[in-house]
Parts: sequence; structure tokens; C-alpha cells
Amino acid sequence: MNKTSPSPTAILWLMLGLTLGTAPHFLHQPIWVSLVFLIALAWRCMNIYYGWPLPGKKHLLLRFVQLGIAGIAILALMFSYGTTIGRDAGVAMLTMMLGLKVVEIQSQRDFYVATFLGYFVVITNFFFSQSIPIVLLMFVVVTIMTACLISLNDPKHQLNERSVLKLSSQMLMQAIPVMLLLFVLFPRIAGPLWGLPQDAHTGTTGMDDTMTLGKISNLIQSDEIAFRVKFDGDLPPPSQRYWRGPVLWQTDGTTWKELDRNSQSPITPDIDFSGGEYSYEVTIEPHNDHWLFALDFPNRLPTNVNAHFTSDGQLRSNDAIKQRQQYQLSSQTNFQFNAPNEPLIKEALALPKDKHPQTIQLAQEWFLQDPNPQRYIQRVLQHFNQKSYYYSLTPPLLIGDSIDAFLFETRRGFCEHYAASFTVLMRAAGIPARVVTGYQGGEINPVNDFLVVRQRDAHAWTEVWLEDEGWLRVDPTAAVSSDRIELGIGDIMPAGMRSPFFITNSRQLISLWQNINNNWDAVNNAWNLWVLAYGPELQKNFLSSLGMKNPDWQKMAIWLAISISTVLLILSFTLLYQRKHPDPVVQLYRTFCLKLARFDLQPNTGEGPKDFAHRATSTLPHHKNDINTITQLYIDLHYGKQSAALTDLQTAIKLFQPQKAI
Amino acid sequence: MIQTFRQYYQQYNTRRRTYIVPSRFGFVYVGFLLLMLLGAINYSNSMGHLLVFLLASLGIVSMNHTNRNLAKLNIKHIHAKPVFCEQSAKFNVIFDNPSRYSCYQFSIANKQKQARSWNPFKRLSGYHHRQILPQIAARQNSSSVIALITKNRGKLALGSLQLSSTFPLGLFYCWSYFHTDYEVLVYPKPEGLIPLPKTTGISHKQAQQHQKGLDDFAGFNSYRHGDPIHTIAWKALARDDVMRTKQFSSPQDGRLVLTWQQTHELKVIEKRLSQLCLWILQAEAAGTSYSLIMPTKTINYGHGDSHRRQCLTLLALYQHE
Repeated sequence: MNKTSPSPTAILWLMLGLTLGTAPHFLHQPIWVSLVFLIALAWRCMNIYYGWPLPGKKHLLLRFVQLGIAGIAILALMFSYGTTIGRDAGVAMLTMMLGLKVVEIQSQRDFYVATFLGYFVVITNFFFSQSIPIVLLMFVVVTIMTACLISLNDPKHQLNERSVLKLSSQMLMQAIPVMLLLFVLFPRIAGPLWGLPQDAHTGTTGMDDTMTLGKISNLIQSDEIAFRVKFDGDLPPPSQRYWRGPVLWQTDGTTWKELDRNSQSPITPDIDFSGGEYSYEVTIEPHNDHWLFALDFPNRLPTNVNAHFTSDGQLRSNDAIKQRQQYQLSSQTNFQFNAPNEPLIKEALALPKDKHPQTIQLAQEWFLQDPNPQRYIQRVLQHFNQKSYYYSLTPPLLIGDSIDAFLFETRRGFCEHYAASFTVLMRAAGIPARVVTGYQGGEINPVNDFLVVRQRDAHAWTEVWLEDEGWLRVDPTAAVSSDRIELGIGDIMPAGMRSPFFITNSRQLISLWQNINNNWDAVNNAWNLWVLAYGPELQKNFLSSLGMKNPDWQKMAIWLAISISTVLLILSFTLLYQRKHPDPVVQLYRTFCLKLARFDLQPNTGEGPKDFAHRATSTLPHHKNDINTITQLYIDLHYGKQSAALTDLQTAIKLFQPQKAI
Repeated sequence: MIQTFRQYYQQYNTRRRTYIVPSRFGFVYVGFLLLMLLGAINYSNSMGHLLVFLLASLGIVSMNHTNRNLAKLNIKHIHAKPVFCEQSAKFNVIFDNPSRYSCYQFSIANKQKQARSWNPFKRLSGYHHRQILPQIAARQNSSSVIALITKNRGKLALGSLQLSSTFPLGLFYCWSYFHTDYEVLVYPKPEGLIPLPKTTGISHKQAQQHQKGLDDFAGFNSYRHGDPIHTIAWKALARDDVMRTKQFSSPQDGRLVLTWQQTHELKVIEKRLSQLCLWILQAEAAGTSYSLIMPTKTINYGHGDSHRRQCLTLLALYQHE
């Protein structure tokens, strides 16, 4: 192998590929990391175009500059990520070191290493997102990286940029069949093989296990999908689509928290079901916590996931949800929750000392006037409905005691304001109450009939406990804005929050936008369910449905071997297949040579037809005339003498049947 | 049907073989892929799997491309001019690419004298890299000159050629052997200190024949006073203002007999051959008609290129009993 240094073209290809490969990381990693990378690349560019010096034996000072940058970068990484190398720190490190590597590429070996690292950069993108656009980017980056290698192996620049790109995309296309076979048939192993770094799955948005007034409204900005639901039969009406999440009991006046799970022994809630059943399958997006969202209230534990019910009715997975997961459930919307007895009733009455004086005063006043709990609840709801309270996605800032300030001054709030102040009003009157957070509503995607619940559907409501009736759901937000519950949050949001600003003026454009969104989401859902979820389980099911009985790794390996060899056979045949020589004269001469090949006679490399004929006649002297005639005809025809006729050669070769001399 | 298959088989069987192994970068590539596969399994990352599979598949495809790059090449023609010993013999090898694809980046190597070695792999490395042929376009020829230093007179065979390539990705190293049987003639080295033997007289008739039209232009001399006016090179004078006369030599000086015996005093066969070789060149330059008498063969009087070639070939292939 020759030891030429890579050409500038090859290095430009490499830089293009690396930039595209690391581009998605620019969005989430610290800006100085991207800057180090880009400056390093710019340095190399200046070298190529303006002959700036590079670090190396000739420029030791620059070598120190380069190493200095690397050292400072590592220190800065330790400063911002700590000393353990997790996913984010690792990617940031890789990005910067790749940039600095590009600066010092001098040999072929450096170049190959940088290219292989470029392939590796693509896989780091998948640790953050496996969406379709990123996969398309993968194909682009791999094409360019392959172009790099082609360009490196073409130092004399015989191929221009277009043909390099053409060849590399051609090779990529030819690689796709085997890639698909491997994807489907390569025996999958359930991960992880060893511990994952702490930050392997961060960057997910979702519910919080605490509620501070003004917090859920942050989620409303997020269009991200929380989970998708496929119902087997009918869908529950919108007013029944409550998806229970964390239940909050304890408050210090501003923040609401769950019960401390460690201090209590788990008690299974006592629930009486009645009425119709909905069965459905939930595909939940990872949120790095334990909640599994279920339609209130599930009548069994989910399949596929190890989970349990807490004493306040939360469905919790035993392991944190770090990957997209699916589970089947059935729920009945008519139920009685702990009707005879609530063991935690004390927790549902506690209020922080010396907080919300105005609210407590109002509650006690009203309850004294009419001590019937049901009528008291109605009165509070009527108060929300009739006094000028507004449902607002952008509530004003609360100053001082937040509940008092909301109830008596601002009167503009989001679901969490209503849920929190309602609970305080209940507890102050001696009615057990708790806040339930979760999601309410969801949109049906008409393309694939999935109910899509997004982060913006996050909601908070209350439950009050009444004797003989158990925990009753009361949604004070419904008293203020029934649209929120009936239509869902999407319809009451201002148009500007639902679609890009430039199409808000036209109704048709908005509906077109929604149409596109629905289709895109259906595609993504199918992608998630069939491609991204393709692991050991799905592989087994899929191969069984194709007719493979009890698929195990041996069978997969056999089929893999058979199918890949078939594909490769076809590939090498198409690559090596030679259409017959366009010149019929040459073709005929070849048949003649083949006839002689049986006697170990074939033209040597560099041997002309006359010499060959001479050799042939010495082996087969009795065929001397035939051989000489054919050779002469061939020479005449091939080298431009028009005197001979093609048919003569044809018949001569047809009649030529060489035999061994007797 | 059977006939067709037999033809295919024969075609296959008589074809030149190509060999292919992963290059060291190919092994590094596989190492990277295994690392990435481990990462993908550990993170249960579906698209990570897809990328690894894509790259693995790409590697296999590149193997096919590397093989194709070499598989169809042929040597169409080899040609080399005879040389004197210790000059380099330039073999002009014309490679023919009959396929519909262009072929790129070949390293051409030729077989060196086999050095004895305990290491069997030395047999593979017995090839010496000569040059790189950057491209042979589809259905085109491309020529390459391989220069070999000549050490002995006689016939010098080009021997086996090895063509190798790692194009397009450099992950595989593919090579193929071309066993050529082309030989070039190496004349003895023209050297020696014995002056050219004297010419013998020639008949008047022959001399006249020669004087008529066989005067050969031999070069220019600077003009000296008294040179005949018709020998002045007028055209050259017009070109650069320097007066010259044209010199002609004609084989009128007589005939020369060169014999093996005349070099008797040199004793060493090769030196004697070298001396004869030098004489032939000198005689040719002087325009003398000469004959060569060797113990094995006698070449009659003659003059000119083909005569010279005949004599030199006799010297080159001379085997002393």
C-alpha cells in the first residue's frame, strides 16, 4: 500500500461528513463545544485554501497550541459535566476530539481512523433521537463518509466529485438489501449488557411528581407526545378521558407533593366497578419515572409491564420507563374508590399552619351556613363558575400567599390553580380532598385511529372523599371552562400556539396543517411500533407470523446465511456480468478458442491470433487447414479487410470440430 | 443445454483468478463495527443496529466492487525493444479493460528473483511494486512501462506480473497474477579496447555501385576555408547564421570481417562478445559493410539496421561450447 497523504478533496469530503454527522448535537451541547469543533475545521480549511500551517514536526509551537486546546477542552468538560463520562460528556468529547483530529490528519491511517469515527458519530445521534429525519441524515452522512474513502483511494483525482458521490450512493443502494435482511434476521439480544451511564435517557419531558402553581402551564407549550392509545372498541366520551398520574396530598402552601411512599405500607385500594369496559393498548414515551398512565380506573394490572397500584390508585411500573413501552389494559369509568373506608384520611385533611387565612375564613363561613358536604361542593363550584374567574394559559404572577392571591385578587388561572385552591377550600371545611395530576383529553388521529395524548394535555383535578361514595372526581376547571374538558386543550388554545404563525390567518391552511400533522404522526407511530420497537420479542413474533416455527438464533442464522448469499450472488452476478462483446467477430473467435480450450490450448496473455494459430497447429497438426483458415478470416474481418464475409467465419467455426489425433 | 453449461464451465475454469483479503483498515473497520454493535445492543438502540448492519453490508458490497475492479482486466499486448546489457529494458504493457466499467488505481508489480526463505509468506511478497495505473476507462486500453535493469545478455523474461488494488474503499486488498511469457533480447554491453580491424579492399565495381546513391548523411561539420561549396548546409545557415558543411559517409571504405578469433586475447567470453558488439556498432556508424564469423554461425557481408540486428542477436544468444 502506498503511503501518500490524503488529498485535499478527500479531507473536504471528510469535513462535510463530520459536520453533518455532528450537526444534531449542536442543538443540545454547550455552544463552546461546537465552536471548538468548527474552529478546528476552519483551521484545516485555511490550510487547504490559503496554506496556513498545521501542527506537526515542522510547527512544534502549533502542536502545543493544538494539545493546549485539547487540554483546556477536557478541563472544561470536567467542569461542566463532572468527572464521570456519561453519554452527554462522551459525545461532547468525541465532537471536539474529532475536530482536533481533522487538523492533524497527515497520513492515510489518520484519515481512516477519522472516517471510522465519523461513522461512529452517526450512532451517537441515535442515543438522543431515533426519529425518521435523523435516520435519513444517517444515510446522507454514510454516503458522504463512503465518498471520503473513495476519494482517498483515488489520489490522482480520476473521478470528479459527482462520480465519487454517484459511486458511493450506488454502493449504498446495493448495501440496503443485506442491511434489511440483517435487521430482520440478525438474532437480537435484549440489552443492556452492562450498566448504562446515568444520563443515558435524559432529555425527556413529562410530568413532575410535585406541583407548584404555574408549573404545568410550562408543559402546555410542549407538543411532544406523552403516550398513544389504541382502543379495541368504542372510545370513552371526552369528559371521561382522565389519565391518572401522580396523586398529590401534602402541601406547604405553594408546592404539592406525593405521600412519602417509604413511610407507608402499600395498601391496595378497594374499588367497586360497574358499567362498560374499555380495553386498550398504551404506547408510552419514555419519561424516566415510574408512572404508567391509565384511563380512570383500570380493573386489572397491565400486561407486558411489571406494575402495581399504590394506595391512592396510581399505576406504577416497577422499573423506570426509560424506553418506549407498550402495555394492554382495560378500564371501567364507573367505579367507587375506597367507599367504605379511607385509611389515609388524615393526610387528606392536613393544611399548612398559618397559611391561606382568607381562604380558610371563607370556607368556614360557607360551611357554617350549610354543613352538607355535597351542597358545599356545589357552592364552591358555582362560585368559580359565576364570579368572574377565568381559565387562562398565561396566568399573572401570584404575589404573597398564592392561594389567597389567586382566589381573591387575580382570579385568572390554569387547571393547577383551580385544583389547588379547591382542595384547600375542601380541607378547610373538613372534607378530605387531594389533587390528582395526569392528562385529560387527547386527540384522535383519523389516519390510524390512535388517541394521541400530548404533554400539553397535562391536567390537574381534585378528588374529594365522601362517606359511602368514596373518592369522587371533582374537576373545578370544568366549572370555569367546560370547553377544556369537553373539547380538549387543543381547541381552546389560541391558534398561534397550535400552528406556526405564518399560517394562522387562514382556516383552510390550519386544517391542512392539521392534516399533515396527523399523517406525519401516524407514520411516526408506525415507525415506533414496528421499526424502533423491533427487539427480541417483536422479532420472535414477526418471524413466527412469517411461518418460522419457534424462531431461535440457530434458525435465524441459517436463514440469514441463505438469504444473504442469495442476495450477494445476485449482486456479484450483476456487477460481473458482461454483456456479450458488441463485435460479433470477436464473439465468434471466442467460441473458436473455447473449442480449442479442450486441448489445453488458449491464447496466452499478449499472444496474437497468428502466434496462437501456430501453436495450435503444432498440437493439432491434422486440423492445420481449418485453424489457419479461421485465423485468417478472423484477422481479415477484425482488422478491417472487407473482403471476407462474416458468414464464412460463422460456418467455418460451426463446422470446426477438433478431434485428438489418432 | 449441457453444451452451454460445459462452455460456461470451461470459460470459468480458464479464467484468470483474482484473490481478495481484507486490508488492515478492513480489520479496523470490522473492529469498529463490533464496538458499535455492542453499543447498540447495550442501549437496545434499534437504529444503532440498523447503522451497523448498513455498514457491514457496505463492507461486503465494497468487496464485490474491489473484485470487479480487477476481474475483467487483461493484458492485450506487450512490447519491448532490444537493449544492450546494463541498460534498462522497457516493457510496454498494454492493459485492456473490456468491461463496461472503468477500473481505477492499480498497483503493478513484477516478480522478483525468488529469494530462499523459511517464511512461506515471502512467496507473496516476492513481487516488487513498480507503478500505479490510475485509471483504465471502460472498453479502453492503457499502457504502462515497466523498466527492468538488465544484468546479463540473452533473453530477459518479463515474468509474472501482479496487479493489485484496494479501490474503492480500501477495506479489501485484491490481486491477480498475469503470467506473461514475453521475452526481450539483451545484447552484450558494447565495450572493449581493441581497435576496429582494418578493412580489406573491395572491387571497383562494388565501390561504384555504392557511390551512386547510397551516400548516407552523417552530420554537420563547422565550415573550414576551402570546403566545396555544394556541401554547405544552406538551410541551416538561414536558420541560425552559422556556416556548416554537410558530411556524408558512404560504404566505400571497403569490407570488414569480424571474427571470434580476432578477440582471442581477451579470453573471457563475455568480454569478447562485448568487444565484437562494440565493433559492430562502430562499423555500422562508419558505414562499412561487415560480416561476422562466429564458431557457430557465419553472417555474410551486409550493412544497415536489419543486418546489425541479426549480428547482435547472434552475439546475444551465443552459447560457447
